[in-house]
Amino acid sequence: MATEGAVHVIDVTVNGEAHRTPVPARRLLVHFLRETLGLRGTHIGCDTGNCGACSVICDGQLIKSCMMLAVQADGREIETIESLGEGPDGLDPIQEAFREHHGVQCGYCTPGVVLAAKTLLAENPQPSEAEIRRALKGNICRCTGYMNIIRSIEAAAAAPGGITR
Amino acid sequence: MSTPRSETTFYPAIEQSERLGNWSGKNVPRKEDKRLLKGQGAFVDDLWMHRQGHVHFVRSPYAHARITAIDVARCEAVPGVYATLTGEEVGELQQPYFQMAPEPAGAMKDYCMAVGKARYMGEPVAAVLAESAELARDAAELIEVSYEPLPVVVDGIATIEPDAPVLHEEIGSNVGWHGTYDYGDIDWAIENADHVVRIDRLHFHRFSSTPLETSGALVNWDPGTGVVEFRTNNQMPMFAAMFIGPAIGLGIDHMQFSSQDIGGGFGIKITSYTYLTALALLSRKAGRPVKWSESRWEHLAASAHGNERTFLDIEVPVMNDGTILGFKVRAFDDAGAYLRYEPLGAVIWAQVVPGNYRFKHVRVDYTESLTNKCPVGPNRGYSRLQHLWMIERLVDIVANELGFDRVALRKLNYVQPEEFPYETPNGCIYDSGDYPAMLDRALELIDYEGALARQRASARSGRRIGIGIGSTLDSGTNNFGQSRIINSALPFSGNGEAAIVRLDLYGEVTVTIGTSPQGQGHETTAAQVTADILGMSPDQVHVAAGYNKAANTYVGFSGTYASQFAVTGLGAVMGAAEKLRGEIIKVGACMLGSEESDIELADGFVRLAANPEAAIPFIGIAATVFANVAELPGELADSVTLNCRYVYRPPFEVPDHETKTGKLTLTYASQVHAAVVEVDDETGQVTILDYAAVDECGRKVNPMIVEGQVHGATGHGVGAALYESFEYDADGQLLNSTFADYHAATSLDVPHIRTGDIECPSPFTPNGAKGMGEGGGAPLSTIASAIEDALPDGAHIVFDTHNNSERVFELLRSAAAAGPRGVEVISR
Amino acid sequence: MLLAATEYVRPDSVEDALAALGGTAGSRVLAGGQTLINVLKHRAASVELLVDVSRLEELRFIDVSADGSVTIGAATTYRELERSAELRAAQPIIGEVAAGTVDRQVRARGTIGGNACFADPASNYPPLLVALGASLQIAGPAGVRSVPAEDFFVGLFRTAVGPGELLRSISLPPLDGAGVGYRSLQIAADSWALARAVAWVGAGEPIGAARVVLGCVAGTPVRAVATEARLIGGPRSTEAAVAAAALAGDGLEPPADVHASSAYRREMAAVMAKHALFDALGLQDDR
Repeated sequence: MATEGAVHVIDVTVNGEAHRTPVPARRLLVHFLRETLGLRGTHIGCDTGNCGACSVICDGQLIKSCMMLAVQADGREIETIESLGEGPDGLDPIQEAFREHHGVQCGYCTPGVVLAAKTLLAENPQPSEAEIRRALKGNICRCTGYMNIIRSIEAAAAAPGGITR
Repeated sequence: MSTPRSETTFYPAIEQSERLGNWSGKNVPRKEDKRLLKGQGAFVDDLWMHRQGHVHFVRSPYAHARITAIDVARCEAVPGVYATLTGEEVGELQQPYFQMAPEPAGAMKDYCMAVGKARYMGEPVAAVLAESAELARDAAELIEVSYEPLPVVVDGIATIEPDAPVLHEEIGSNVGWHGTYDYGDIDWAIENADHVVRIDRLHFHRFSSTPLETSGALVNWDPGTGVVEFRTNNQMPMFAAMFIGPAIGLGIDHMQFSSQDIGGGFGIKITSYTYLTALALLSRKAGRPVKWSESRWEHLAASAHGNERTFLDIEVPVMNDGTILGFKVRAFDDAGAYLRYEPLGAVIWAQVVPGNYRFKHVRVDYTESLTNKCPVGPNRGYSRLQHLWMIERLVDIVANELGFDRVALRKLNYVQPEEFPYETPNGCIYDSGDYPAMLDRALELIDYEGALARQRASARSGRRIGIGIGSTLDSGTNNFGQSRIINSALPFSGNGEAAIVRLDLYGEVTVTIGTSPQGQGHETTAAQVTADILGMSPDQVHVAAGYNKAANTYVGFSGTYASQFAVTGLGAVMGAAEKLRGEIIKVGACMLGSEESDIELADGFVRLAANPEAAIPFIGIAATVFANVAELPGELADSVTLNCRYVYRPPFEVPDHETKTGKLTLTYASQVHAAVVEVDDETGQVTILDYAAVDECGRKVNPMIVEGQVHGATGHGVGAALYESFEYDADGQLLNSTFADYHAATSLDVPHIRTGDIECPSPFTPNGAKGMGEGGGAPLSTIASAIEDALPDGAHIVFDTHNNSERVFELLRSAAAAGPRGVEVISR
Repeated sequence: MLLAATEYVRPDSVEDALAALGGTAGSRVLAGGQTLINVLKHRAASVELLVDVSRLEELRFIDVSADGSVTIGAATTYRELERSAELRAAQPIIGEVAAGTVDRQVRARGTIGGNACFADPASNYPPLLVALGASLQIAGPAGVRSVPAEDFFVGLFRTAVGPGELLRSISLPPLDGAGVGYRSLQIAADSWALARAVAWVGAGEPIGAARVVLGCVAGTPVRAVATEARLIGGPRSTEAAVAAAALAGDGLEPPADVHASSAYRREMAAVMAKHALFDALGLQDDR
């Protein structure tokens, strides 16, 4: 049987906090976030990079953390769902829009979907429904039929003052 | 304050609360959402226990194989491996699960892992427990299993032929259940009808609503107390306990179940009890907590699939005016390798025998068969959507073959609004509805006239336009007595749910329920009805998140399944809140020195209706009862607990085993959907251009949540109709067990859904609500209908629920081939 | 989700990457990882050493020359291709295909070189590169060699990149007024293709040069030679395109899988070829 393989020390910034941590080469970023750092808001929904439940932001871009090794995050800045909203109870305007428009059912896809919305609105503050649908293609939701997710993002885009950050 | 509303001979009159309305019926934002939006949910894979080990299952690569040897020695020698468990050990440690089928299928010996032989690809044959998930998987590769492959059967009809390989020798055949349901006089109807439409075969395909969170559990067999703790996302824990307990010798007092957030269920997480059993055995053996997170391929290959059903030899008697008298059919339901919820599906469809129609004469010869495929489990719309799809197909086919307008034919045959409550041929009572109005609304939402014009305009363009209609039912609040129709010896009947509403030490109102929600917003709707009854705001009501057997109350039916929370769950909450209200008023009246009838509850105060200044906050009531009790008269102190449990019980009787009749469900939410599709003549590719969903579910407690369920059920239906289908080859190999190949519908695939609604309050429920959420599979009917409408004259009928581009291409081509069309009409 | 143990190295130069690749049997280039990491999760291949080239600036560039020829670094991501205005001007189809590849997350990390090197018959770029007459520059211990796209894809999941080598860049000749059509029949939007055809037709009438390439029908992209032969010397007309496309499936025996039968794939290859030709010739589909 194979051995664990070499361990690499990585420097990674997660939600603004710098970490210097040893990781085995085979460890996926999603497992590093969930198990090493205890950031359980990033979820696992499939084995094939299709579902997007593990989506996080890496250097400003939405990526799937199950399709990247933790060691590849060396020198990167990662933002997870835990970075949104002030303190334990604060919701950022995008999250607030999801609450108001019932963009959440079981909540399992939600962290990835909210980050997808955030990165979309950062690049395109007034997206059409078609643009929202394209931007969500990598995030499977099994509960909402996507309708209220789309409504929530439309509402966040239309909110006075637009979105923060 | 409650008055009898219902005057019907079908059920005893019930009281409907008049206190609902301040918060119930409003789009109250969900209490659950803050934690879910912030990534603070506690899903099963988020849980952790000291000393836990991680489990990896070794699974059979064969669909049918004798297991001749399992060697775990090399695996167990790996440092960090805590224990293994094999099927052979399971055969010693576990009694076969209780079977709901009567003999001979009742003799089936089903275990949590393959014992002696494996009967479907992916069936667990061994398990490894190790210090990390990675190591468990690594070490599992060292387990050597010797198989002797056996002949495989994957066809749900061929499997009952005498020469088919038998899965379970103890049964002697692959028949899991067989029976005939015969209502009215179908032979008379066929003989006397003006026309008989015969349809050779319709096939409802195998798919799963496949929740985004897979199954999982953290299980600890505590050696000190003997209590086994199951922290799991199983969605019907009391049902799971009924299987696990007797199998491994645990009383319910020695089983603890809990869940907080569950990442979707749709029924697929009901039958995870086999895995929970294996985890309990592994925990006991290793003396450690064990954690298991199912991978997606494991979930798709070996958790549960929805039922596949084939309908043969359908005959539909029709009169010249379009009246459809009924139908007869032979149905073969393919349960896969084991009966893990089956054969309940063999009766559940009978909740909706005539669909939305006034059919009087129905005969269904029903066979539950066993094949070398993943066992089925309830899946959104369970057992009814197969039957309802068949009915909608035959209505469309009758219209096309006999030249009736599909809309007019439906309206003629629908149960009419004035006929409710309506008794079906098998004694079920449809509580309320207005199907013609729903159809009109759905057609309006897709701009039916405009769509017809587009259809005419596109006639020669190669982009064929089709318009489809699907009318279905979502029957809710089962009478579990229907299980006796399939096995008279089963000790179940009725239904119910339990809740506790209490005023806590410092004036907090807390609610606990026996349900285990997976995204349906129970915390919110329970708070809405409680707030209405206790005169406060939902923000002031704390509803415990998730299910915890030790902390919540429950009955044998507890769980979240089968479209019933609005009736059973909220019925229990309302009953408990009313009891608490009564106690608060009693104590308040005493403290204010007034009559109970002078008291009102408002804004979290008990006060005199005539003098709101004379008020006591709830904390005053609680403090007196819990910590200042000597101030109360002894009689009063003895009679109040401020801890009020209520069990809601629908007014069911036991159905009749012999005639297969009875009131099988309490409420009938309904759906009429309509769609416009474009079918590409050259490729068969189907594009949905417009989609409308009109749903009716009685009085809505939270319309926003209801609409969300409609969207979700529509998404699942669209996915199944066009993209999602489990495909096995002749060797029983599942060909698509990842999301790369099993294409779960994305945001680009699910169309924009226009919703419309009509409210027909149920006369049978405490709040006028009907259970909803499953959705009846209306999109499956609607899309099949639309595709058929787009096909050229002379084409074969749409015969399958799943219509990928190649299947539609073949249908398009069938028109020119002028071969059999799968249907014939015999007219007198 | 749990990978087998492996080693990892992130070299600072192509030279170091080649040294790492050459130094370990069972080494493999890790670029965007959007396919390879799935392979590793499923333990479908055993990899001793992952050589991560995703950050090598030498491999991340889009050069557009004055004559319209283009060279793209192998580790350029779909997102970069999608967003390059220069590339859109010179070779619009490259960015358009990138924009429809899988989803945003994959586009942020997946690379054109990885797509080419994985050589999945259903991949987006292989038939396109063949149709555009691309050449691919492979770096190895002995230096860089350039291979025409047609010779690059040698079999199912196999390319001309040998052990110890890596794909450095992809070069595209100028369009020079040629028309390009790219059509796919997919199981769902931006998903697996069942059939795919790419048509490249040189400017001028009668048609002097044409390449029609099919994807999803064999282990490698397939030139529809009968279709091309029928086009050349003929007019730029609907009738000519229809007649030529009808020949596209001739002689093919596409693989069958869970998504489509062989016969359907063959027929759809011809349908896609027709529409790709219409696009390449600027013809309207007047169905």
